[in-house]
Amino acid sequence: MLSGPGMELFRYSTSIYGGSDLLIGASWDLLPWFVAAGAAFIVLHALVKAVASRRADQSH
Amino acid sequence: MSVSQANVSTAASAPGRIRRHLLVDRVYHWLMAACVLTLMATAFLPIIGYKFEWLGLHWSTGVVLSALVIIHIVRAVVWQDFWAMMFDGADIRNGWRRIAGVLGGGHAPAPGLPGKYNGLQKLYHAGIAVLVLAIIATGLLMLLKIDTPLWRRNPYVLADYQWGWIYVVHGFAAMALITMVMIHIYFALRPDEWRLTRSMFRGWITRREYEEHHDTQRWAADET
Repeated sequence: MLSGPGMELFRYSTSIYGGSDLLIGASWDLLPWFVAAGAAFIVLHALVKAVASRRADQSH
Repeated sequence: MSVSQANVSTAASAPGRIRRHLLVDRVYHWLMAACVLTLMATAFLPIIGYKFEWLGLHWSTGVVLSALVIIHIVRAVVWQDFWAMMFDGADIRNGWRRIAGVLGGGHAPAPGLPGKYNGLQKLYHAGIAVLVLAIIATGLLMLLKIDTPLWRRNPYVLADYQWGWIYVVHGFAAMALITMVMIHIYFALRPDEWRLTRSMFRGWITRREYEEHHDTQRWAADET
């Protein structure tokens, strides 16, 4: 069963036929991480563009 | 004359305007956007606690999106300039020069202008195409597990572990799509990109914007 520290990557269910757990999908606990990745990109890009724009203004 | 050149309508455009997106392509974009947002809402709102009957709207919208994407692929390959969206050597060179310029303090050669789409737009399109095609392929398979007007459900066409991986791909691709949509909307709202956002509503950019932001050889909008 694959998991990160304190976080599951996949969802499992118990098979009605017994045996090992059944993979049923991605873990929805990861949803905030994907939203956070989008937000992080936006913030970083906006900062880099702001700094680059300020440097361009100063050089002119 | 390439299709990119034919995108200029000298008869219909006001002076100083370059047609960037035909009406059919703008309609496609906004229909696809509506489908993607509907699919994301019906997928994730119930997951985060807003319970409602989501499955019918979700799969029917998915079928509509599948049809739109197929139409887009056929149109892009047959009627549009397919290579305008393909990452090429000039994009690699311009990207490298841009990075070198930032890291090297301005001593690197200046990057060239892009064609109709810049390198990052092309990479974004490639990424979102992979995600959407993966979601569509897995989603269409999942239709086999529900009753529709055309067939009765049959979950036994695949083994349990195979269904598991299909749901894994669908779920991860859907969550990654959230990230991609956030980034896309961010760029659409940036003031330095408003000419592109306007062009997806109005269909045109000004000639000044065209000459300032695009290599007129790579995107030859003027008829010769």
